[in-house]
Amino acid sequence: MDELTREFLIESQEGLDRMERCLTELEERPEDAGLIGDIFRSVHTIKGTTGFLGFKRLEKLAHAGENLLGMLREGKLTADEPITTGLLALMDGLRSILKSIETEGTEGDAQDAALIARLEELQAPAQMQVLPAQGRADIHRAASVAEELPQGGLAPFVRDGDRTAEPGRPDPSPSTEARAVDVARANPAQASKPTQAEPDADAAKLRAPGSTSASESTLRVDVTLLNRMMNLVGELVLTRNQVLQATAADPNLTMLSRRLDMVTADLRESVMKARMQPVSNIFSKMPRIVRDLSQTLGRRARLHMEGQETELDKSLLEAIKDPLTHAVRNSLDHGIEPPEVRQAAGKDPEGTLRLRAVQEGSHVVIEVDDDGAGIAVEKVRQKAVDRGLMSAERAAQLGERETLQLVFLPGFSMAAAVTNVSGRGVGMDVVRTNVEKIGGKVEIESRSGKGTTLRMRIPLTLAIIPALIVRSLEQSFALPQAALSELVHVPPEQASALIEWMEGSPLYRLRGKLLPLVFLDRLLTPHSQPQARGEKDNFIAVLNADGRQFGLVVDGLADPEEIVVKPLSAVLKSIGLYSGATVLGNADLALILDPGAIAFKAGVTMSNDEQSRRGVEGESQTESVKSPEYLLVEVADRQAAIPLADVLRIEQMPVSRIEYIGYRPVLNFEGQLLPVEDSGGVLAAVAANPAAQIVVVVCSEGSRQVGIAVSHVLDVAAGGEFFEAGTHARAAGVTLLKSRVTGVVNLGGVPPLPDNQAEAGEWNQCSASMAEVAQ
Amino acid sequence: MNTHGAISNRNVKTASSMVEVCSVRLGKALFGVPITHILEIVGKGRPQLVPLAPSFVGGVVHYRGDVLTTVSLRYLLHLPPKDGTQDILVLESSHGCFGLLVDSVGEVLTVAEADHEPNPSTLEEPLRKLFAGAYKLKGSLLVMLDPERLDPIRLESTLATEVHAV
Repeated sequence: MDELTREFLIESQEGLDRMERCLTELEERPEDAGLIGDIFRSVHTIKGTTGFLGFKRLEKLAHAGENLLGMLREGKLTADEPITTGLLALMDGLRSILKSIETEGTEGDAQDAALIARLEELQAPAQMQVLPAQGRADIHRAASVAEELPQGGLAPFVRDGDRTAEPGRPDPSPSTEARAVDVARANPAQASKPTQAEPDADAAKLRAPGSTSASESTLRVDVTLLNRMMNLVGELVLTRNQVLQATAADPNLTMLSRRLDMVTADLRESVMKARMQPVSNIFSKMPRIVRDLSQTLGRRARLHMEGQETELDKSLLEAIKDPLTHAVRNSLDHGIEPPEVRQAAGKDPEGTLRLRAVQEGSHVVIEVDDDGAGIAVEKVRQKAVDRGLMSAERAAQLGERETLQLVFLPGFSMAAAVTNVSGRGVGMDVVRTNVEKIGGKVEIESRSGKGTTLRMRIPLTLAIIPALIVRSLEQSFALPQAALSELVHVPPEQASALIEWMEGSPLYRLRGKLLPLVFLDRLLTPHSQPQARGEKDNFIAVLNADGRQFGLVVDGLADPEEIVVKPLSAVLKSIGLYSGATVLGNADLALILDPGAIAFKAGVTMSNDEQSRRGVEGESQTESVKSPEYLLVEVADRQAAIPLADVLRIEQMPVSRIEYIGYRPVLNFEGQLLPVEDSGGVLAAVAANPAAQIVVVVCSEGSRQVGIAVSHVLDVAAGGEFFEAGTHARAAGVTLLKSRVTGVVNLGGVPPLPDNQAEAGEWNQCSASMAEVAQ
Repeated sequence: MNTHGAISNRNVKTASSMVEVCSVRLGKALFGVPITHILEIVGKGRPQLVPLAPSFVGGVVHYRGDVLTTVSLRYLLHLPPKDGTQDILVLESSHGCFGLLVDSVGEVLTVAEADHEPNPSTLEEPLRKLFAGAYKLKGSLLVMLDPERLDPIRLESTLATEVHAV
């Protein structure tokens, strides 16, 4: 395919994307001349270009559409329902021809006569006399433009007289097929604006001055080039890490390497940003889907979209397109009730479907929220039993929240009958699988009779992920943090007692529940003699993958690292256990383990037994969402609870590390001065023996960090709330942990250190966070 | 980094009657690789082993930002594995790049096309699939290796069929 045709395809597909957005808006505001103008220009541009590229079929169809649009534009017709439907059909027709050009290089030989006739029919009242002539003029003009093309690419189209008001490239949404991405970094606000519903006059004002600058300040970049750049930046990051290590001792080089450090961090951020695209790129497909589906299903639904400017890595955006479509379908099919049912329930007959995207730290949360019937928990239980997914007794034991999670099981469907929209029992399963594949998480929340919310948490980027480096077989492996829920250390002398065997399957009791274990070394060397594990340390990494939970046993843990994911060759990918490789800070290569694949390979499945076990496990997780989790600690002889959300680290150390400023115990923690709270008298109890070990729980309290001296860390548990008898007042400072009333450590009550030191602490904190950014 | 298609000595043959061949040493044997397919020679590499990989894979190495799969020539020739470092020839085939682990890389020899002979029919089956004939040197033979045939993807299928045959 030649360059000109390719550019034409990209341009046309963008035009059609814009047209799609405008059409769904047009349904709401049929009189909006601006929208009609936009649609007209999209079709007109396609028609004009096809003239000299020689795509006759495309030209004929576009021409028919343009005639209809021309009449709309002149106000001879109003965009009523049949016309909008006709225009959508026109768009689909144009798309399919473009697709055929792209894949086969020809327009295909399907006939558009019926569609053209329909478009002509829609113009019924008045007939065309002027328009054909105008069409010819356009072709002529386009031909003259073609002569300029070699130097200017497609830019001349924008220069063309009557189209100066065209919003150049208002939306950085390339077609995926085109494998190109618009870098509209310069003015992202403006770029996302036209996609949102705006009062027309304002929109026109905003677009006109912005249009030229948008087309001048953006350019198309091939995705493969961006990937390559990302790769090279990753390389630079690694080299920088090594340079930093090597030059740490040399004061002359420190300044230089620090500068290298900063530039690298900036560069990395810029390249990552270049790969980001607003979620409006996929949100914009939804109005059409909602429209078509509501018609098919006889629902009435209003679509609200928020946070369209939220940005996400392009490849991730691609990956969540399907799950999002599934979720929207589900909401319409199972969520929002038919209008008469809604009316009977005293609701607005028109349902509301809300799509919301918001960035939360290093994740983007995408919510699909409807105000429909919600999920009937009882029905879910019944379905699960009917489908043989679990026994009736087990189902009855499940709480509301974990019952809801059942909808993510493969083969689960709530639809009474299989329709062509949903009911085949693959929807939610696909949603979860796809989202987990990219390191995200899905959760569902439902309020019976009020609606359902599906929440997807997507990492910002895939190219660089946080991972824990583990050791096994005397080499390093990277374990993605996203799947990791906790780590358990089993010292050699306790290994035989703590790791139990059931007919050859190793198990570990994690807070009373059996956790299947997978020994990484045995998994990776199936033919070698199993080593006695008595002599070495065992670390159990508790992993959640594809809804299964298991413990991966490794020989050692190294530091967590931000790793740059590099693809493996096909031969190694086909092993199925590794999702890539990475270069560590010490220049060693490490293979990245794929938790889902390990679970599969090791045969960790969701058996009935396990599901119920997970159900119970899920229960504590459930509560954790509503009620906070606490770290249960022993202080001297009493038990106390520390809110888990505030716990940063748990450090074991000899008591001699604790120093004193006056009478206040403090800890030099990674270069920061940490006030240590010792209201339980732990320090005093062991003060006589400087070698005694104590545990300091490092917590964040507001913007500062404090340490709590404790004797032991016992467990993590969800706390229950207390209500004072006879009132609804929540009791403060206590919580119900494992059916025991436990006092909560008041972190805010830890007095700050004297002023100057507090400042020093803050300064350190600030530099630490800067270092984090530089990472 | 893709190639100019199938390699061949034949192409070179038409270009000139002399061919430049990089010699590599493996134990006592001498092999040749056409220099047109060598991207780079990385000395003293220590590839990271990949558990569960096909046995001909000698591990992965970091090469210019990519993770390169290497092929152990020792394994292919049924020689015992060697401790310590090995030299890595970064080769390109029509499927992409890969590394070839050899004991050491020797000098570049210029040989005459006319001295090339195809594999003898008595050559064992798996080796016949790896070698691309030999050049008759003074007093010795320079067995040619074909980067295209050593590509891990090709090897996987070649060696898989071999196992079936046995």
